[in-house]
Amino acid sequence: MTTELAQHLLMLPGMDGLGVDTVRRSRLERLREARVRDAAEVRRPAIPAPRVGRAAALAAAVGGVVQQTSQRPIVVVEWRERIERDLAGLAWLPEPVDPARPFVLIDTETTGLGSGTGTLPFLVGLGSWEDDVFVTRQLLLPEQSDEAGYLDALEALIPAEACLVSYNGRSFDWPLLVTRYRLHGRRPPAFGEHLDLLPLARAIWRHRLPDARLASVETGICGVRRDHDLPGSLVPARYLDYLRSGHGALLRVVLEHNRQDVVSMALLLRVLAQELAPVGRTGWSSPGVHPGDLGGLGRAYARKRRHQEALACFDAAMERLSGPSEAQRYEHIAMDRARALTRLGLRQEAEGAWQAIALEGGRRAAWAWLHVAKHREHDGADPRAALQAADRARALAERSRLFGQRDRHVERDLARRLPRLRRKLAATPG
Amino acid sequence: MRLHQPMTALEALERFLGEPGVAQALAVRRVLPAQAPTFAAVPEWLDQRLLGALTRRGISALYSHQREALEALHDGLDIAIVTPTASGKSLCYNLPVLQEISLDPAARALYLFPTKALSQDQLAELRDLAALAEMGLSAAVYDGDTPAAIRANVREAGQVVLTNPDMLSTAVLPHHTKWFQLFEQLRFIVIDEAHTYRGIFGSHVANVLRRLLRICAHYGSEPRIICSSATIGNPGELAATLTGRRFHVIDRSGAPRGERHVVILDPPPLDARTGVRPGPHWLAYRAALSFLRAGRQTIVFGRARVAVELMLSALREAMREGRGPIERIRGYRSGYLPSERRAIESGLRSGEVLGVVSTNALELGIDIGALDASILAGYPGTIAATWQQMGRSGRRQETSVSILVAGAGALDRYVATHPQYLFEATPEEARLDPENVHVLLAHLRAAAFELPFAPGEHFGAAPADDLLAFLGEEGHVRQADDRRWYWASDNFPASEINLRLGAPENVLIIDTGPERPRVLGEVDLFAARVLVHEKAIYLHDSQQYHVDTLDWEERKALVRPVDTDYYTQAELAVTLKPLEVFARAERAAGSRQHGEVMISSIATIFKKLKLDTHENVGWGQIHLPEMELHTTAWWLALDDQAASGWRRDELDAALVGAGRALQTVASVLLMADPHDLGMVAQVRSPHAERPVIYLWEAAPGGVGMSARLFDRTDELVSGALDLVAHCDCEVGCPACVGPRGESRLDGRALATRLLRLLDAAVAPAGGLGAVAAA
Repeated sequence: MTTELAQHLLMLPGMDGLGVDTVRRSRLERLREARVRDAAEVRRPAIPAPRVGRAAALAAAVGGVVQQTSQRPIVVVEWRERIERDLAGLAWLPEPVDPARPFVLIDTETTGLGSGTGTLPFLVGLGSWEDDVFVTRQLLLPEQSDEAGYLDALEALIPAEACLVSYNGRSFDWPLLVTRYRLHGRRPPAFGEHLDLLPLARAIWRHRLPDARLASVETGICGVRRDHDLPGSLVPARYLDYLRSGHGALLRVVLEHNRQDVVSMALLLRVLAQELAPVGRTGWSSPGVHPGDLGGLGRAYARKRRHQEALACFDAAMERLSGPSEAQRYEHIAMDRARALTRLGLRQEAEGAWQAIALEGGRRAAWAWLHVAKHREHDGADPRAALQAADRARALAERSRLFGQRDRHVERDLARRLPRLRRKLAATPG
Repeated sequence: MRLHQPMTALEALERFLGEPGVAQALAVRRVLPAQAPTFAAVPEWLDQRLLGALTRRGISALYSHQREALEALHDGLDIAIVTPTASGKSLCYNLPVLQEISLDPAARALYLFPTKALSQDQLAELRDLAALAEMGLSAAVYDGDTPAAIRANVREAGQVVLTNPDMLSTAVLPHHTKWFQLFEQLRFIVIDEAHTYRGIFGSHVANVLRRLLRICAHYGSEPRIICSSATIGNPGELAATLTGRRFHVIDRSGAPRGERHVVILDPPPLDARTGVRPGPHWLAYRAALSFLRAGRQTIVFGRARVAVELMLSALREAMREGRGPIERIRGYRSGYLPSERRAIESGLRSGEVLGVVSTNALELGIDIGALDASILAGYPGTIAATWQQMGRSGRRQETSVSILVAGAGALDRYVATHPQYLFEATPEEARLDPENVHVLLAHLRAAAFELPFAPGEHFGAAPADDLLAFLGEEGHVRQADDRRWYWASDNFPASEINLRLGAPENVLIIDTGPERPRVLGEVDLFAARVLVHEKAIYLHDSQQYHVDTLDWEERKALVRPVDTDYYTQAELAVTLKPLEVFARAERAAGSRQHGEVMISSIATIFKKLKLDTHENVGWGQIHLPEMELHTTAWWLALDDQAASGWRRDELDAALVGAGRALQTVASVLLMADPHDLGMVAQVRSPHAERPVIYLWEAAPGGVGMSARLFDRTDELVSGALDLVAHCDCEVGCPACVGPRGESRLDGRALATRLLRLLDAAVAPAGGLGAVAAA
């Protein structure tokens, strides 16, 4: 056994007498000299802002108030506006939430888009209803060292039974806040449930919007117009500039941007609760609702295996659709409807639905004939009728092939189904 | 005589050595005697289930080094294990880790491996042991290939997480709050193959470990560290520099060894005047054939993919001539599919595969069982790698054979003529410098991103305040009024670090061969000019690529895979200016010094050299801008007396020749790649106003090699003298003083004369490296 002790642990070889500290300093000095020659890069080191009155100065600059916390004061900005709280319909969403819970709409502004521990949420906007008044409370962090008290204040605004509502908060905002609590060695606040509006918005409205960002959805769906809005990509730099300069006024546009995000979520929540979610239950929708939205909602139900509600949405959508200009959308929804019928075990209705699609002669008619054949073969046990349907599918597939548009799914299915049906037919007496 | 005749490895060796043409290449033959195992009892505190697992594996007692490792860890020490291939090293960490988990299922361990393949192999081994112990164990690899679906589960529930330093740096540490269960309960950090963490890579990894330990401290855990390393000269120091801790070094293996015959073949020059030598492949092929025909399991290592493919097809061809079963000889390299590799590995273990021709992909710990013969076509670059490759053969009972066929390069020749380095004490040291200021600052940024720094807080062995103030000037961090330093930027600093590179600005190497071009890797800007200039042959994973275009502005090199029989070597015109002397000491004929220097260099031309013989077969020009590099260097300055009595052109030739020899020996001592150390010789240095030989480090800021060369100058000089004085060429060759230029001077004699002067006061000529001249 040998125990070789590291002799160079605190000293670099050949630098007798020089501690790591000295070595570091001299190396750094030479690096600094090199940088001074490239003078453009040099910035003056930040001077920490004076501690006394910092929160007060910030509050004054942004029109907020100072709130004492268990640690150091932070700044809170409050906005009130009239938005009715009529959210009972949320109980019928594809992923239902309990409308009786206190709703906390949450949106954060951060120093970066990454999710690592160096990304700091410096502004959390929390929206909630006090009767029919919608209150947005924005917690603003005056200085990086004030975070402990900030997290206390935030926790106090999230009731343990709350339903959080966010836009992409499941993968961004909330994990980021969890990170902050963990970083401070604390448990993240408890809450009841979390409704992330992004996946719903994507399913329901994306088809008629350029993208599913909140800004696009609020404009397209709620008619919100933002004037002089600060693009989200500029938010980090604003806060970092504030930290270095102490100019709180820099943050006004960030607060406005954040408030609008929270308010837009409230508006979307109402559209969902009042116009969309009830369709699944009643099968009735107000005439203003776009049929494509209903189709998307139906598919969202279908993904949660709630086929009854899905069917109601598809029915409502089809009622609203007419005219050749919408033939494709009609066919798409009709197919989803036929699938929902199959899932619900309504085989005859399903077969009828597929046949109706097939007889329309749309782009997926061959596919629909195949489904008809499938139902006739397995449910009706009528190989002759099944073969007739499969033959129609074959004829259509061959025609598309002549036009150079092969449908390989159909061809592959037919390659197995046709011989099998012929065998069955041959084996059947009569 | 029948071609295929079963015989023992030793008989096959005797027959091979008797073949015509082999005897005159024989440089060394040593017999390493068999060693009986040294057993030690299993510690009584070991969990019964683990005891059961050992019993089921047929293990009733541990080897002494395993017991020592267990006891040292039990006593709370950090350990560094240095034992040969196949000595049961993984039990040294798997047993204590499983023991800890058996006592407390909340306990966690983190394993670091330099490659992904090793992680997979070790995971299988660990799971196997846990299964034998009938212990529930959640262990998983977390790397770039881990499916997103199971990542969260690994983070939350993985009791043992196996990963690599790159993944740790970019995907784990910056997200440590997602790993809080791991960091709160981290009991062991296992750093396997630690000797691979040297040079710039090691300097980075040391800083990644500083970040790791800082995060552990934040969560209140104090993990013990287990390092394992191949045999090198400074394992304890390496582990200490990497981690900032002190280690209990375990370097006596208790594992049994069968008798091993080690042979070094050093083919004589084809032409003594020019010093042109044959490559190693023909002799390696003939050696391999002898063992394969005798029915002995054989592994052949080649340095490049082309060499591997050439030897493979020649062996298959020859075995078919003798009606041998061709499918029993396989190739193995990193381009193969994992399933294919697994099949070859298990084929080797079961004996179905008789021979394998491999690149160094099989050098590190993958389990292939023990073979009869290992043949190394060329020196693998380090003594540690030589033993790892030779360790692939070695039966417990029967005699095994290892053959090193020296190639034409200087390093090959040096090792072939200095067998004591191989058999006695290895002179190799793994060097790294965690204080390299570029590397240090890059990781300090990442560390500040991970957690704010308290005033006076240490990063490594010293407080970080000055460095943080410097970063503050850049605007990446800022000091808040609580005097703590906070990350204040929207960048993600860990993603800006490439652990394999020294400088922040890199050239991307893009393979345009496949349908969808892919990024092969990066090189730093300084090195890019000599590695990926247009028409260069760039070697990656043993595959050659031709550089079609180098877009200097876009920092992109477009390459495509080729198979050629040459490589390229670029020449740099270098001017060197010392900036600061860190240390200086007088010695024979002058002084040794080391310090910081500025290198200005411009790439001028490149040469095409034959892979086998290093013969020059063509050249081209390079048009790229001049660049400056701040780095560290070691140098020898001649005093007036030593510098007098030379003709100027003679002194020039002597300095260049001696410099090249010093460079070769330095590469051996410090396990450096040929690109890691540059050489400049000046007849009259503008700064010292006297003749000087410099060796400078190619990594910006250096990795501590120059400082160490300063300490080992005597060894360096006598080694160089020995190399030059005893070369079997006539007037200088590529293997001693470098290729002959235009001059008609006797470079070897001149360099010898100079090195004798420099060596005079230290030891008689030959010094440390005295061997009988060939």
